[in-house]
Amino acid sequence: MAHPHPTALIADDEAPMRDQLRARLHEAWPELRIVAEAANGVEAVALAAEHKPDIAFLDIRMPGMGGIDAARQIYAQCHIVFATAYDQYAVEAFEQGAIDYLLKPVTLARLETTVARLRRQLDRAPQDIGAQLAQLAQLGQQLASQNQASTAKPDYLRWIQAQAGNSLRMVSTREVLFFQSDDKYTRVQTATAQHLIRKTLKELEEELDPDEFWRIHRSTLVRVDAIAEVRRDLRGRQMLSLRGYPEELEVSRNHGTLFQQM
Amino acid sequence: MAATQINRALDFVRDAFREAGVLWWRFFDWLALIEWRQLYLVWFLVFVTGLFIKLTEPAIWFILISFGVKVLAGGKRRAELLARDASTKADVANLERRLTEAQMATLQAQVEPHFLFNTLALIGQLIETDQKEAARVHGHLIEYLRASLPQMRSAKGTGGTLGKQVELSRAYLAIMQARMKERLAVRVEVPDFLGSAPFPPMMLQTLIENSIKHGLEPKVAGGTITVRARVEGAILHVDVLDDGVGFNLHAGNGVGLVNIRERLALLYGKDAELVIETPASGGACVSIRLPYRMTEDG
Repeated sequence: MAHPHPTALIADDEAPMRDQLRARLHEAWPELRIVAEAANGVEAVALAAEHKPDIAFLDIRMPGMGGIDAARQIYAQCHIVFATAYDQYAVEAFEQGAIDYLLKPVTLARLETTVARLRRQLDRAPQDIGAQLAQLAQLGQQLASQNQASTAKPDYLRWIQAQAGNSLRMVSTREVLFFQSDDKYTRVQTATAQHLIRKTLKELEEELDPDEFWRIHRSTLVRVDAIAEVRRDLRGRQMLSLRGYPEELEVSRNHGTLFQQM
Repeated sequence: MAATQINRALDFVRDAFREAGVLWWRFFDWLALIEWRQLYLVWFLVFVTGLFIKLTEPAIWFILISFGVKVLAGGKRRAELLARDASTKADVANLERRLTEAQMATLQAQVEPHFLFNTLALIGQLIETDQKEAARVHGHLIEYLRASLPQMRSAKGTGGTLGKQVELSRAYLAIMQARMKERLAVRVEVPDFLGSAPFPPMMLQTLIENSIKHGLEPKVAGGTITVRARVEGAILHVDVLDDGVGFNLHAGNGVGLVNIRERLALLYGKDAELVIETPASGGACVSIRLPYRMTEDG
């Protein structure tokens, strides 16, 4: 046999889970030597480079760098087996592809199947699973952003930072009624409070979700959801009234087309 | 020289026109809003003044014009008031709908499958290696589920005192400590006397879960979570602090925070708020502030 004593690395952020996998592996494959244990993806990559294990058991969710990203860096050097307690999207992908995985808690019977497969594969070079991993990484990211608020699209500014004494007050864009530019500052108005920030209206307009905030005036950006009604006042100007705020905002003529359908 | 003077004169004329326009519309608004009885009085005064200074003709013109404008603008104004009334009614209906929605969202199970599966995996492992610890974590899990699964909560939806909420959070934190080991340190600084203060259910829990999930779990070295409560003036402050990775400015509000904000607004109006801060030292500090009462019926 080419590998009388194959070696393995275990990566899981939860120590009890590492203990369990180590104990199970000892039962299922006594010749296997666990040469390194990592608590996160970065450690796993470093230890894999140092110990050159034949196999890496990687938990999918780990702080800093997860198992899939770690695998993308080391899949050429060693056989990868993923472990997960719940990542259904990954499990489905693994079942379709050729990537091996273990569901936690790991049962001995399931582990024995994996061990049998690994024994057969050890003599060969690790499979090229790069493309599959790239897909998985993308899928995971999509899922993560979907789990944010349903309307959230990545990269738009969602929090406004306003200085408040020693700390920074974080104002969710969902709380903001409107932004109005003053001389030096931009005023952030919520239903209960007012903050001043240094960011200009132009910068805000570029960073905020254009579906969430509309420019209605040279000096005003208003949150669309906060608009209660639009009316024409006696002088023919369009005026916006907002939910939970007494004053009305003027819509300048240049931006009046926003509400022409109404 | 001459050109600048002409420009200056033009500017002046333009300003004068603008000012006149503003004054006219102010007059218009004033007419639309004023009561007829007051208008009669104004007409009488104008007329009498006109008689005194022998300018009855302009006085009569003023009265005629203002009468015309008042008749026209008054109708528009009334229509506007009616519209506003209608929209107030719509707002009330809207508020009721939001209250129901917020309650429904709270009633939905908020237990994360991830958390549940990982905890069960941990218990399974501990049964083999450390049965006492397994029993302890198992007990905490039951306590946590009892509080988090809607079917298990009291039908009244209240039962919320700060003491009870802190106790439930401790169960959750104990499970997370068993999983994250030395990566998670917990400090609870809630004075005993605040235990009986009413506090809405599942809010503290959500803040703590957020803090661990977004602040501490992603941090390789882990960190400390602090739960603290205090009364300032008549306001009860309940803070959840962590020294985790801090806020991602581009990550949307989770459903949890939105729900808390909504429920606070519906329960306490403008007397309660959810304040989110980044302390100078980093991490995150989320604070629920609401009117303090000593006991449920106090």
